[in-house]
Amino acid sequence: MADTILQKIVERGHYKFVDKVDSWQDAVRLSTESLVKTGYVSENYYKQIVDCITKYGPYVVFDHYVAMPHSQEGAEGANKTGVGFMRVKEDVDFGKDEDGEQKIARLFFTLAAKDPDEHLDNMNQLMNIFCNEDLLDALMAANTPEDILQAEKDFPPEDILA
Amino acid sequence: MSKLENKKFMVCCANGAGSSLMMKMTLQKVLTKLGVKPAALHHCSLSEGKSAALNYDIVLCARNFAKMFDDAAKKGTIVLGLKNIMSAPEMEQAMKDAGLLD
Repeated sequence: MADTILQKIVERGHYKFVDKVDSWQDAVRLSTESLVKTGYVSENYYKQIVDCITKYGPYVVFDHYVAMPHSQEGAEGANKTGVGFMRVKEDVDFGKDEDGEQKIARLFFTLAAKDPDEHLDNMNQLMNIFCNEDLLDALMAANTPEDILQAEKDFPPEDILA
Repeated sequence: MSKLENKKFMVCCANGAGSSLMMKMTLQKVLTKLGVKPAALHHCSLSEGKSAALNYDIVLCARNFAKMFDDAAKKGTIVLGLKNIMSAPEMEQAMKDAGLLD
């Protein structure tokens, strides 16, 4: 069986655990760090994401402390397709959305998209993760890559589209 | 026959690569459940979507982007803005509220 997205994240070293950040902009930058180190995205890639959130609002922050910072498919600075994971212990405040709801994140799944097929598969898997609150809680408590794999074992994502 | 049958759907997000893809998956799930075959199912960025909206019957997007399609909505395109783009129940309810379900 092919590796799951969380297994790929661990194998490729695309993870980061931090206690706190200075700002959501800082969080976005840090969330791309593991992708930069491995050549998946350029050092400046995060700036496009920050610009986009500044322009359109915190629409990349979903329910249950999940943020999915991303730029366009085939965007400049995205060299390979992958997902960078970051867990922040303290809340990262993205401000209010148009409904006045405060958007808070602690889990970051930052996208790099180059290959459309692989990207689609990643999105499918991420959606299953985002809809699994037990798994998200376990990932929020994770401190090591082993914890990520254990969380997935304990709360395997189900295919919600099936 | 369902009012959704043979309609052209477009799903939009800021970049056309992240949440619009997820929303498209949610839509596919809802349509499969309802047993509806769409005539078209397209996902794209807001900039592309804004000019293309008139070519579609139904546009879906995150709620905060819905007002960007006001022009198309005035000309008859149905615009559904959702709070949780991954929620199939919310999407179905929005279709119901728009009078698209029997």
